[in-house]
Amino acid sequence: MQRDENEKLMPATAGTPEKTPPSQNEDGAPGNSKTCAEWAPQIVLLAAGEELDAVALERVAGHVAECAACSAALDREKELLALLAERRKNPDAPLLAECRANLEDALDREEERGWLGWIGRAVFGSNRQANWSSNWLEAGTSWSAALLLAVGFSAGVLGPRLLRHPVAPVSPTTQKAAAETTGNLNGDTDANGGANSDESASREASAASTHSVVSALDLPTADLAGINVMRPDGGDLPQVRLQLQAREPVTLEGNVNDDNVEQVLLYMLNDNARFCSGARLDAVDLLRARNSDPKVRTALCHTVHTDHDAAVRLKALEALDGAGGEGEGEGMVLQTVLDALQSDQNPGVRIEAVDTLRDMAAKGQVASDDRALAVLRDRMAKDPDTYIRAQSAAAIQELGPHQKF
Amino acid sequence: MMETSVALEGVASQAAAAKRAEEHALVRKAQGGDRLAFEELVRQYDRQVLRLALNIVNRPEDAQDIYQESFLRVYRNLGRFRFESSFHTWLYRIVTNTALDHLRRRTSRREDQAPAPEGADGGTRDFFDQQPTPHPAANPERRLMGREVGEQISAAMKRLTPRERVVFEMKHNLGMRLRAIGEMLGTSEETVKNSLFRATQKLRESLAGLR
Repeated sequence: MQRDENEKLMPATAGTPEKTPPSQNEDGAPGNSKTCAEWAPQIVLLAAGEELDAVALERVAGHVAECAACSAALDREKELLALLAERRKNPDAPLLAECRANLEDALDREEERGWLGWIGRAVFGSNRQANWSSNWLEAGTSWSAALLLAVGFSAGVLGPRLLRHPVAPVSPTTQKAAAETTGNLNGDTDANGGANSDESASREASAASTHSVVSALDLPTADLAGINVMRPDGGDLPQVRLQLQAREPVTLEGNVNDDNVEQVLLYMLNDNARFCSGARLDAVDLLRARNSDPKVRTALCHTVHTDHDAAVRLKALEALDGAGGEGEGEGMVLQTVLDALQSDQNPGVRIEAVDTLRDMAAKGQVASDDRALAVLRDRMAKDPDTYIRAQSAAAIQELGPHQKF
Repeated sequence: MMETSVALEGVASQAAAAKRAEEHALVRKAQGGDRLAFEELVRQYDRQVLRLALNIVNRPEDAQDIYQESFLRVYRNLGRFRFESSFHTWLYRIVTNTALDHLRRRTSRREDQAPAPEGADGGTRDFFDQQPTPHPAANPERRLMGREVGEQISAAMKRLTPRERVVFEMKHNLGMRLRAIGEMLGTSEETVKNSLFRATQKLRESLAGLR
């Protein structure tokens, strides 16, 4: 029998056994006589997520399903991690900005030291580098002249660097043009920009700079300082205000139909490791209104596959409702739902996936193909969650009248 | 359906390869002395680095030190990076070593045991104490409770050894796999599992009253 790596974990120091009656302290599975204390490390890994291989996962899930003490231990682990996650915060924008500014200063000093070291070596040779400053008067006239030349040269090179000012990647002019033409961008530097009465010029600028503001921002290096969602009464789209921290702060306002807003929200989902869960949840929620747009659909599918927060993955799955469309889009959505049902470690996400699949089947959006049936059969047989097993069986019945299995 | 799946995987792997190639080029440029390329590398990772540091050491000023020291080490040693691992792995190896050094230094200095003074009242609060609870102002009782929870979590985290704390945060804050953490710490996956297990056990014991 294959013995997986996870079983070797800390047999001697497995920790405090759960206080359970002796009858519950043995795993009743055939051929497996581990005590609950011996299962404890694997329960920690199960709660941690993505650490157990398929064999170990099946074993520990099977045990947890049958053992009340270990099931409670798993719940406690998850509660503990949720509690700690709730208190874990991202650094705020001012702290990050301060770190960056200090690092830039430190790098400047490093570069200056590098130049001085180079000059010292060039003038006195590397063997004298250590004490050149104290002995430089010993050098002859020719060396002194060389030193003066070198100092002059380095001043010429370093002077402009020391005096330079950061160049903003987004010029106030660009921001101003876009703000005036789209009416939804408020660059902080443009607070008193004034109105432009020439509407035709504004429209021309708008056409030329639909994406210029966000693309000029260089999103991979900009930070999100804040996101505020305002939900108007009635069926109107929510308004969002995005505060971006670049070399110059920029504020975008609008709804998801605005290209700049959409672009930033898509970026937040596609590069999800850089943004906090709350912001990503807002992004998913806002983009849901445009889920039939191929770019949005792809980003939502990407989120379901890759986001490390189960709540965001779950919300992205919900947002895919009705996003299928025709052909390739429908295939992508179905594939994503099936992947979540089969592979997601979080039972809540898998429950949402199986419910979504049943909805899609009821609407005739799922063909009874081999892949869907294979996933459902697998979940019906193996999923540790009773509800998912039952729903998978029901989905097979709905999808499978024309199939033999 | 299978074709769609293969196509999606293909697109994902192409995107990952493109990202790797882009990063490779940036590192090359930075190795050649291109300061802007180095700063772009910093921007790609620095938020995560600061978040990790902040949660490991609990104090913003210490996190700033780790941030700066780590990136300076990267800057000074970039020429020695030979692409034998990913830049990401190499960077985090430096960050974790810096954080471990910092924690060990702090543990060995008694005066650093006390939390840093914060606030106008001259009281002592550390990072966890400063974290807001959802809508705390609306409910003073909840705010007080939130602060108490923060203090208990802070005390519980202090019970962890430096290595346990680093492993726990890398797993649960950055979502890294234990194998990758082991590579970064220059140790085996088994050792990392043990550290995670001990950390979880200590936290569970310390915070039992909260649940």
